[in-house]
Formats: sequence, structure tokens, C-alpha cells
Amino acid sequence: LQIFEYNGSAVVAMVGKNCFAIASDRRLGVQLQTIATDFQRISKIHDRVFIALSGLATDVQTLYQRLVFRHKLYQLREERDMKPETFASLVSAILYEKRFGPYLCQPVIAGLGEDDKPFICTMDSIGAKELAKDFVVSGTASESLYGACEAMYKPDMEAEELFETISQALLSSVDRDCLSGWGGHVYVVTPTEIKERILKGRMD
Amino acid sequence: MFLIGFLYLASQSVKKIIEINPYMLGTMAGGAADCQFWHRNLGIKCRLHELANKRRISVSGASKLLANMLYSYRGMGLSVGTMIAGWDETGPGLYYVDNEGGRLKGDRFSVGSGSPYAYGVLDSGYKFDMSVEEASELARRSIYHATFRDGASGGVASVYHVGPNGWTKLSGDDVGELHYHYYPVPPAIAEQVMEEAAAE
Repeated sequence: LQIFEYNGSAVVAMVGKNCFAIASDRRLGVQLQTIATDFQRISKIHDRVFIALSGLATDVQTLYQRLVFRHKLYQLREERDMKPETFASLVSAILYEKRFGPYLCQPVIAGLGEDDKPFICTMDSIGAKELAKDFVVSGTASESLYGACEAMYKPDMEAEELFETISQALLSSVDRDCLSGWGGHVYVVTPTEIKERILKGRMD
Repeated sequence: MFLIGFLYLASQSVKKIIEINPYMLGTMAGGAADCQFWHRNLGIKCRLHELANKRRISVSGASKLLANMLYSYRGMGLSVGTMIAGWDETGPGLYYVDNEGGRLKGDRFSVGSGSPYAYGVLDSGYKFDMSVEEASELARRSIYHATFRDGASGGVASVYHVGPNGWTKLSGDDVGELHYHYYPVPPAIAEQVMEEAAAE
């Protein structure tokens, strides 16, 4: 029993010109059996920071709830939203607190920082932060995603082109993985709007 | 049709219905190499039987040849879950044969990791005296539902018909497209409103 492959997941985030896109698949399975095709993996922390969690579904949900709680507390104390870099450090600290009994998820964090500069990073299940300038991936389809993103990514893409690129990378990668897919969920975030789209994918 | 090496998808277009001879088909589930090899081996044995006895082998005989061969390799790790379908003097024949040497005659079977899901659809729609169109649509739907729920099934749903003059391929539909054919995505509310406004 491979615990990171129990539920199946695919998550990717990409940087564009003053915008970012974050995408995930929608399958929730129990090993080979598909249970749901509308599982929410991407969550909004506030209008400019999104987190997507891959890995064990129960930890995805619990960790999300704890992070929202911590962010709300921050908002009450500081009277402002968290910067994406700060939020990433918070996630890293929360994950390392459970160093010897970890949350079995790998987060991907994406946000717009000061001056609308996009920020993305990923982490392993015990909080090792990995910053990137172009794209980050996570989940059972991560190897395929690395290949697809590397081939399709260009720097400084506008929002529409970024959406196309991230969608194609996600759909082609999950089609090579049994445990993820069954549709796609993409958020494209610019300083002025958040566009949420559902992708029609192969349902097998 | 999925072919998986652990959890990586090697191919979406594997032929899982093996043509043993013009009037007999075998299905593939379990190990691909095992199924391909042993079905071809069965085809050879059937042809030798025809040459030795001047008549075609019965489906019962062919399935028994395969079952006995697999029984002799029992415990050695072969992985074969197959159905032998054919037509002989006694009419249509369908046998289930597996790597343990099990052999069962029946009217309907489903084999493989997605088989429980296919059985659900198959059993609820099956009648002995269905027409060919009804049966092929039932088979297609059963395979489609198995590919939807089972992670290890997918790709193309092929349907063959076995009649007195041999087998014919009826259809080979990509299950990704079958999904939207059976469950079309309804147009979004905004689109519907715009259509109504245009109609006025």
C-alpha cells in the first residue's frame, strides 16, 4: 500500500506575466476504484493566494481547514491579508510540526505578491519549500506533468495563453496516469480578476 | 484499453480481443504477454486439430485445450483471465478460462479489474433473447461504465459479434467520447439565457 497513491491526484501551478494559473484534476479514488469526479483540491486562502494539495484526501481536507483557520487569525491580528511568501512559510512550519507523523500531502502554493509579482512554490510532506520561477507540480502524475510543463512552458505568457498551456499540460499528463484525471479544475488569477474553469477531460 | 506497467499507462490502443481464427475470439485480461502468447498457441492447436480431424474444433474443445495448458503451468505465475467465444455445430459457445485452470460455460461473463462494474450494468440489462443491436449496446455500456469507475480500465470499447459465419467487428468507440455521448454536458445557464434572448 503506497499511501501517497491511495487517492490519486495531479496538481500544477504556472507563472505568467503578472498572473498565475493553478490547476488540479478532479478524481477522488480508493486505489483503483473511482469514488467521485468533483473533488476540490484547490482552495482559495484569499483573493491573491491559492493553495492546492495533492496526496491523501483526508489530510488535504484537514490541512486546508487548519490553514484557513490560521489565516483568519492572522487577518484578525494584522488587519490585512497574508503575503504568499509568508503563507508558504506558515505551511512549511505547520508541516514540520508533524515531522514524525506527517500530513500525507504535498502542497502547491501560488499567489500574487507585492507589485502583482506572481509567486509559486511547492513543498514535500514535511515542509521542504521549493521555489520556482516557471512551474511546480505535485501528485501521482508529477513525472508526466514535469515533462509536459517543461515542453509547453514559455515565460511571460498572458492569462489566456497561460490557461491554454496549463490545461493542455494537465490533461495530457493525467491521461498517462490511472489514478488521476476525470476532469480538470483551473484557476487563472490576475490582479483584477479570478477566472475559474472546469475542463472536459477523458473520464476513464 | 489500458495497458499498465504498475500505475503508468503504456498504451490506450491495445488489442484486447484476440482473433484465434475466423470463427473464434479470445478476450485478454491479466498479463498481456501471457494472453497474447497462449491465445496464439491455442490458434495453432486448433488449426492442427482441423488438419488431423478434417473438421473444425468445437468451442468446448478449444477452451478445454487452453484450460488444460494453463493448468499445467499452475502456480508458476501466469496471469490470464480470458473468455473464449465462438460458433460451432452446437451453436454459439462462451467459456471463461483462467490461469488457475478454471473453465466455466455460461451465457454472460465479465473479466478483469473493472468486471464488478461491468457486471452491474450487464446483469441488469441482459435477456437471453436480445437482438444483436441491443446486445452490442449493452456490451458497450457495460464496458464504458467499467472504464469510468475503474482506474485500470479505459481507452477503446470494442464490440464484436460472433455468428454462424464467424466473427465481425461491430464497433470500436473511444470511451472518452462515449462518456459525453451518454452524459452530455448541459449548456451553462448563461448560454441558455442567450439562446432564449436570440430566439425572441
